Amino acid sequence: MAPESQPAASSAPEFSHALDLLWDRFKPEIAQRVALLESAASAAAAHALTQAQQQTAHSAAHKLAGVLGTFGLAQGTALAREIENLCAQDAPSGFTGADRLLSLASQLRTVVESRAASGTHPK
Amino acid sequence: MARRVLIIDDEDDIREVAALSLETVAGWEVFMANSGTQGLARAIEHRPDAILLDVMMPGMDGPTTFRELRKNPITAGIPVLLLTAKVQSSDQRRFADLGVEAVLFKPFDPLTLPTQIAGVLGWS
Repeated sequence: MAPESQPAASSAPEFSHALDLLWDRFKPEIAQRVALLESAASAAAAHALTQAQQQTAHSAAHKLAGVLGTFGLAQGTALAREIENLCAQDAPSGFTGADRLLSLASQLRTVVESRAASGTHPK
Repeated sequence: MARRVLIIDDEDDIREVAALSLETVAGWEVFMANSGTQGLARAIEHRPDAILLDVMMPGMDGPTTFRELRKNPITAGIPVLLLTAKVQSSDQRRFADLGVEAVLFKPFDPLTLPTQIAGVLGWS
């Protein structure tokens, strides 16, 4: 029910459709952030993660954690938060958890790809 | 009369989903700004009933924007709700101590965001 007795401008299916359109619009940007995380994970696995790359990955993970749940991807938010925490480690030279980062980034890719524009909102 | 809310967030996706939520679920009028600086200008221009303000933004961040809003007599009385993806309790306390009306968290549920805001501000 809409607050303050304002008429809801759309029904739930209409809202869901509008949200799907936004997902279509922003999915390339979201996928790009996931790609950044995959690159950082690969670099970490090769012991070649730079500080700039780690900071970029931390920022991308933070943004993904904030947005994926708004599109119904609660699991995506949980994965992104774990990546954000991993990337908050002090220095890339002592970075541990490369394997975990690779796994999380891969799972995140799957979650993002699984959200269809048709309105399927996996949790 | 529809409520008027200003959303200040540098992330396009978050801003657009929040706007969709407030406009279509609640029927409110929404204004948007993608930075603290632009947000201050929009707040003076539109004098909204409330401001939804992101914490982490490049340039002028949310807390700084909030302080600037409070300094200006035109915007000082507008209720501000911070929006953050920070989950650590120390961050949450720090934000709450600023004097904002409430701290809301990302990700939010777009179907219930207006109810959350209305509840905090007593727009029942």
